[in-house]
Amino acid sequence: MLKKAYDWIDERLNVTPLWRDVADHEVPAHVNPAIKMSAFVYCFGGLTFLVITTQILSGMFLAMYYTPDITNAWYSVKYITDEVLLGNVVRGMHFWGASLVIIMMFLHMLRVFFTGAYKAPRELNWVVGVLLFFVVLGFGFTGYLLPWDQKAYWATAVGSQLAGTVPWIGPYLQTLLLGSHTVGALTLTRFFAIHVFFLPAALLVLLALHFIMIRAQHIAGPL
Amino acid sequence: MAAGERIPGTPRYRHHLLKNPGTEPFLPNFLLKEWIAGSVFLLGFILWVVFNPMDVGPKANPDDTSFIPVPDWYFYFLYQILKYFPGNYEVFGTVVLPLVGALLLLFAPWLDVSKARHPYKRPLATASMVLVTFLCIWLTNEAAVQHRAEVAAEQGGGVSAGLPVLPKVPASQIHLVDTTMPGYEIFSHTCAGCHGASGEGGFGPPVYAIGKYWNEQQLYDFVIKGMGQMPPRGGLSSDAEVRKVVEWLAKQKG
Ligand code: HEC
Ligand code: HEM
Repeated sequence: MLKKAYDWIDERLNVTPLWRDVADHEVPAHVNPAIKMSAFVYCFGGLTFLVITTQILSGMFLAMYYTPDITNAWYSVKYITDEVLLGNVVRGMHFWGASLVIIMMFLHMLRVFFTGAYKAPRELNWVVGVLLFFVVLGFGFTGYLLPWDQKAYWATAVGSQLAGTVPWIGPYLQTLLLGSHTVGALTLTRFFAIHVFFLPAALLVLLALHFIMIRAQHIAGPL
Repeated sequence: MAAGERIPGTPRYRHHLLKNPGTEPFLPNFLLKEWIAGSVFLLGFILWVVFNPMDVGPKANPDDTSFIPVPDWYFYFLYQILKYFPGNYEVFGTVVLPLVGALLLLFAPWLDVSKARHPYKRPLATASMVLVTFLCIWLTNEAAVQHRAEVAAEQGGGVSAGLPVLPKVPASQIHLVDTTMPGYEIFSHTCAGCHGASGEGGFGPPVYAIGKYWNEQQLYDFVIKGMGQMPPRGGLSSDAEVRKVVEWLAKQKG
């Protein structure tokens, strides 16, 4: 039955080569921990991706209850934490996951650096990787404000003041971040939009580039 | 649509690859094993999440300027750098150093252009990265230690080292539970004078969620003995009353 359905679709759309291309891709021995244990360092990129997937999923569920306005944001987070079924776990996943992404991404970057995998011809993928790093830090910075608690408020207040000290463009940068002259209603909606629309878009584009380049250039050979 | 012959059939294990040891197809061979490793990783993650439940800090209050601001831990290294460039040199910490660091990282492939890939064969690159990594870890730790000390110094009627520290929260945001228990009655008469009617703290430290850190027995042992400015039995005269108070207090988990 399943096979029939598959063949029916395949006859029309010829999907087999699409996934066979991925399936038949040979995984080299030097990156396969099942063959050489020390190759686990090559898993860090994949694990980063795994955690990013859980971040996207838990974030989608949080967005069902979260309210991005300054009167309700804190109460909505409190409601998720204390009342919603499994709300505490989902929020916990998103909270701890944010740190885990950073840790795994840092480890992944160290492995790429120490194996010299950023050298020609993979320079561009390294650049994409560093951009990914900045995007993930952006997620952390904007996400920190969303619970609208004291920690969130004052960290953003200081962060935006620091942006204001940049020579020449500082004041403009600060207004761009805050949407006004202090942390307030506009800042929260702005950070929310950046956190759930702008940055995910950038992340997905960069991840696609990252993975396409890895496929096109293969993983760097053994040392 | 991708070009190529239509290969009928669903995924199958490719036995002929066995004569080519070393490499293996991504699917299903590699992904299945990868999937198991990923599941173990996720299980560990979920266990961590379940055993470290979340809470919400006090609601943002723009008027309370006494709050000590702090970013999330992965910004600590940047935050710490700022402290070494006070006053007119501030721009070194806010712009120059982070920008130089970011550019060095971004353009690493064009700075380390030798063909050699082994870390030992390019000592400068390897040593720099090791150094930067340790520097970041040290800065992060330094920021954490300093922040903890600041918070401890800030807490009015602070606690002795080693005791759990509850964050200060306005009384209006505290929800005490089981206030029909006799222990609450005793708390209001005796302990509230120092710890606040809602346990928000006053002369003594906040205790509104002490049950999160100590169980009934631990609380009992502490209150019976007292410590520093905290009188033995918290000023109560009988051990039985202390037992009743801590029975209630242990239920306050924030
Ligand atoms: C005279 C004021 C006073 C009274 C009355 C008092 N306490 Fe305390 N309490 C303190 C002080 C001061 C501390 C901090 C002691 C230290 O850390 O050295 C403290 C600490 C505590 C702590 C530890 C708090 C923490 O965050 O680690 C608990 C629990 C506690 N008191 C419970 C009680 C109970 C229960 C009562 C009533 C039976 C009570 N106290 C009555 C002053 C008081
Ligand atoms: C969002 C975070 C990221 C994800 C999900 C990700 C994912 C991956 C994956 C799955 C691989 C395959 C090899 C491996 O797993 O080690 C890889 C390779 C690579 N990554 Fe990343 N990565 C991320 C961030 C970064 C960063 C921050 C850098 C560097 C600054 C980087 C640079 C590279 C390079 C150069 C390769 C090719 C390595 C080689 O050919 O051996 N990536 N990435």
